[in-house]
Amino acid sequence: MNVPLDREAVLASLRARVARLEGGGGPQHEAPVVPLCDGLPMPGLARGAVHEVLATSPGCGVAFCTVLLARTGGTVFWIAAGRDGTSAWPQGLAAFGLTPARLILVRAEGWVDALWAMEEVLRCPTVTGALLAVTGSPPGIDARLDLTATRRLQLAAEAGGALGLLLRPDTVAAAPTAASTRWRIGSLGGENGLDDPCWRLELLRMRGGRPGGPWAVTWRAAEGRLEPGRCDTDRAGSTAREALA
Amino acid sequence: MTDAAAPGRFLALHLPSLATDRLRRVEPELGDGLPLATWSSPGGRRVLLALDRAAAGAGLRPGQALADAQAIASDLVLRPADPEGDAAALHGLALWARRYSPITGLDPPDGLLLDITGCAHLRGGEAALLRDALDRLGRAGIAARGAVAGAAATAAALARGRLDNPVVDSGAEAAVTAPLPIGLALRLPRAVMQDLARLGLRRVRDLLDQPRAPLARRFGQDLLERLDTVTGRGRSPLRPVVPPPELTATRDCPEPIVTRAAIDAALDGLLDALRDRLEAAGLGTRHVTLLAWRVDGMIQQVAIGTGLASREPAHLRRLFDERLGRLEPGLGFERMALEARATERMAAGIQARLGLGGRDEGAGTAALAEVIDRLRQRVAVHRVLPVASHWPERSVAALDPHDAVPAAPAGWAAQPRPVLLLRRPAPLEVAGPGDGPPALLRLHGAAHRIRQVAGPARLEPEWWRDRARPERARRDYYRVELASGIRLWIFLDRAEGAPRWLLHGHLA
Repeated sequence: MNVPLDREAVLASLRARVARLEGGGGPQHEAPVVPLCDGLPMPGLARGAVHEVLATSPGCGVAFCTVLLARTGGTVFWIAAGRDGTSAWPQGLAAFGLTPARLILVRAEGWVDALWAMEEVLRCPTVTGALLAVTGSPPGIDARLDLTATRRLQLAAEAGGALGLLLRPDTVAAAPTAASTRWRIGSLGGENGLDDPCWRLELLRMRGGRPGGPWAVTWRAAEGRLEPGRCDTDRAGSTAREALA
Repeated sequence: MTDAAAPGRFLALHLPSLATDRLRRVEPELGDGLPLATWSSPGGRRVLLALDRAAAGAGLRPGQALADAQAIASDLVLRPADPEGDAAALHGLALWARRYSPITGLDPPDGLLLDITGCAHLRGGEAALLRDALDRLGRAGIAARGAVAGAAATAAALARGRLDNPVVDSGAEAAVTAPLPIGLALRLPRAVMQDLARLGLRRVRDLLDQPRAPLARRFGQDLLERLDTVTGRGRSPLRPVVPPPELTATRDCPEPIVTRAAIDAALDGLLDALRDRLEAAGLGTRHVTLLAWRVDGMIQQVAIGTGLASREPAHLRRLFDERLGRLEPGLGFERMALEARATERMAAGIQARLGLGGRDEGAGTAALAEVIDRLRQRVAVHRVLPVASHWPERSVAALDPHDAVPAAPAGWAAQPRPVLLLRRPAPLEVAGPGDGPPALLRLHGAAHRIRQVAGPARLEPEWWRDRARPERARRDYYRVELASGIRLWIFLDRAEGAPRWLLHGHLA
């Protein structure tokens, strides 16, 4: 090579290239995030990334994902695969902030089609959020939702900038995936009525970060926001972790 | 009055032995040279219906009793008639004939009509076009005669009444049809024909010489109308088998193309050509059909639709990608065409449809429409239409994903509703004190203690909509929280005699 090399410039361009290749691996707080809950150490879930949500019961997982999708602020795709007997019910989703005007429902016959649809949607720059629902536990789903498939989804989300969610039941051994974060959500019953649900939220894994939780959060339907703490404890004086302990 | 007719040019094809030619195409081993006929049994009597040339040469005629025919020609090959199959074959030929003109119509039971106005020069003139069509039909084993004239009915009459495949000038309709026999030219019912023959009226010319009023009184207005259309005095409309496309692009392949790569290349060229035409016209299309003519005369179609008008070759190309696999080239395609329907002014159409204004939003909605189009090739996509109904299953309907969602009716989301609904409510066992709220619930064989209950909320069936489903009974809905924290939406179905508990959804 006879072109004189500017070491600094070469290093800077290589660093930039590595950062591009790593994509979401860079510092998370720089990317715009979808706000989650004020009192938690996490600012929220990064856009342009795929997040995995393990739900111990079907209802709370769907509701939690709905809150996140509604907060992305734009058009949202809800992708379900196969015929498992249940379907996301828009009337109930509206109570968590996701109005029908912003929701597009997709139903695929098989898993391959569902993964393909999720990838297409995540690549679209107009879409702000997409959810792939793994309801029930179809046999072989762990094989389908493997590192390769989730890596493709992650890259698609980085290209399109949407919030991608993989909602799946909390099975004993969920295979590792390439998702940016993995959450677990469960129901925490209350004693004060059935209106505002209370959830147990746990960050199991986070690329480039530390896991955290569990935290207790409560959905205030009237105000349309999540707040830390259990619904039946004194909100002013206790932190979320104490409330759960 | 003759000159008032539109200066169109029409080609008529008469297929005298379509039924038997079709049989020979399907079963090539049917004896060559042996007479072939189809039969049917109107009113219990079995009679001949359609004959091929050899059968006609042997002295048989349609309507003859089957037993007589077999006595006359002992080697006659017989097949039951299949009118639906013949009609389908004629329709298929009408589609095939679109290689000559975009407007082709049926002239049942055995004729085709083509509006070749302005198309003939592409084939070296009307006579050459007619010869080409007859040659191709002949090679496919279908006997045909044809004629070109200034009116569709005139051409049809000439194709039936003359054997020399004439091409006649516009304006001479009356003169050329005058010598034709009435039966072939006007296609009248047999009874009317016999009456006319008894009066000595055998040729079209004889009718033209008669005063019109007595003819109408004696034989009805229908006869005069037929006479007028055939002689070019009245209008003879042609109803196309497929509505003519708004814009087309075509390509003839010098060598028949078979491979997917060659088909792709041809499609790319056609899409570019179509884009140029749409752009020149300031239009976009929402429906594009790819037509492919096979060497053996079959025609295949692949259609795609888009939600928003588009003319972008890359987008249309991706939509075709999923479908091209359905083409069966066989021995190859010799001609391909793209037809654009449902064209719209591009700029205005998009924003009006989605109810969005603003220039910068245009690109975003177009991107969304494109991704929806792509998804629809493989998966079901719909939007949600909120419906004013308290009955849970009915409060949501599906909407086309490209349509704008109307505002939800007042109070639509006010009631507590589950986030997941079971398509078919699942049976449950519930224990509780008497008719009071449930306390224990058994689901999939496991018992769960109920910690909290809200309800009941009683829903009455919508009798004004449910007349067809009287089995629908009132429901008492409860929201329950199990000891594990799971919240369910269950109801007591108060059907006559046998109330039962059912799980209908999952609450958050």
